[in-house]
Amino acid sequence: MTGWHVDDETLRRYVERIDSVAEGASVEQHVLTCARCRARVNTAAFAVDLAVVDLAAVWDRTRDAVEVPRPSFFERLLGAAGLPPREARLVAVAAAFRGVWLVGVVAVLAFAALAAVIGRAGGLWFFLAVAPVTPCLLVAFSYDWRWDPALEPEMVTPYSPLRLVLLRTIAVLVLALPAVLLLGLVVPGGTPFVWLLPALGFVAVVLAASTWVSLLHAATSVSAAWLLAVWLLAATRSDSAVVLQARVQVAFLVLTAAAFVIFLVRGRHLSQLRPRR
Amino acid sequence: MEGPPGDAALLAGVAERDIGAFRALYERHAGWLALRLARRCNDADLVADAVQDTFVAVWQKPRSFRGDGDIAAWLWGIAIRRLVSRLRRRTDVAAAFGSSETAPAAEEEVLLSVEYGDMGAALARLSPEMRAVIQAVVLDGLSAREAAQLLHVPVSSVKTRLFRAKAHLRATLAEGLS
Repeated sequence: MTGWHVDDETLRRYVERIDSVAEGASVEQHVLTCARCRARVNTAAFAVDLAVVDLAAVWDRTRDAVEVPRPSFFERLLGAAGLPPREARLVAVAAAFRGVWLVGVVAVLAFAALAAVIGRAGGLWFFLAVAPVTPCLLVAFSYDWRWDPALEPEMVTPYSPLRLVLLRTIAVLVLALPAVLLLGLVVPGGTPFVWLLPALGFVAVVLAASTWVSLLHAATSVSAAWLLAVWLLAATRSDSAVVLQARVQVAFLVLTAAAFVIFLVRGRHLSQLRPRR
Repeated sequence: MEGPPGDAALLAGVAERDIGAFRALYERHAGWLALRLARRCNDADLVADAVQDTFVAVWQKPRSFRGDGDIAAWLWGIAIRRLVSRLRRRTDVAAAFGSSETAPAAEEEVLLSVEYGDMGAALARLSPEMRAVIQAVVLDGLSAREAAQLLHVPVSSVKTRLFRAKAHLRATLAEGLS
């Protein structure tokens, strides 16, 4: 380009901001294309940072800003719904919204598709066995520290575990229940809402049981029990409509309410959530 | 020439989520960017925020550099717009345009005639308002709308002042030649 370069005197005047009208502009235009002069201006700026800005502090803030993951869409949604940023983060970091959630949804989808393929009777039993326990398994997985590295620091921070568990459970349900309902529409026979109460009931039972045993144990036990019950029903009767009966639904409602009360009463026993090494 | 990695290599490192490359890029450019921003805004906190915003933006979208021109110019383009954006949120801080002793300019080929004294003198004779517009639009490469936001004046004023400033410069330079 040109033979012009920023000399020491010009550089000093530029850094001290005592240069003339055109001098400063010349320097600024030049350093955009001349790496050598730019490096000299840059070095001078770091040397006089007390006069301009504390560049070391800005670096620390910049690094912190880029190392904190950007709020996910879901987290921003929670924030927009009025949840404080910290709680939005705690809810959103649940592994359920990453891998496990995806696996769960794909599994349910696959089962529903399978149900449609197999045909009315067999398929419905299959869906009946899987759909209601999916939400509670998702909730359980979202608390297991092996699945969620974010849980460890969370559990040692002073924070009401009861509130955290409830917030996360609601968040998981908000995502899981529509999927179950939607697939209930696809599967032939029955209304889509019949899966709702069993699903809620199992989540409540798992939460209540988690005050004694770990969430994962509770969820697997509940799931196993439900699968056994469905299998027994399928083996003895050919009509799956028994689960759809009003009294069965009421029983699930009672179960949900009772389990939830137990959970709230025993909320302080939630130490089970702590990861054990 | 073998030496430290170039800006393009550092930017590629940033795209690969290499925090070391990111730090090297920061150390190579944050200084002159901050210095140049500080000449346009008297509030050191705002300048610091703009520098931070700039590098956060680089980290988030390192591939938005399209490879045409210098990475330094690209960085400056981000930085000045981040400052404009920060200023827009803070109406209590006025940009330093026109108020400081340091001042504006025109494109490089014009600036190189500074050694003859005419351009420098011509710029010095501009009113602070016109100089501010020349600086924002010609040197910093802002659009009329961005310049208006930076200077807290209507877009129409920027356009009028730019037109008048150019006419003024042309007249002064012609005067000097004759």
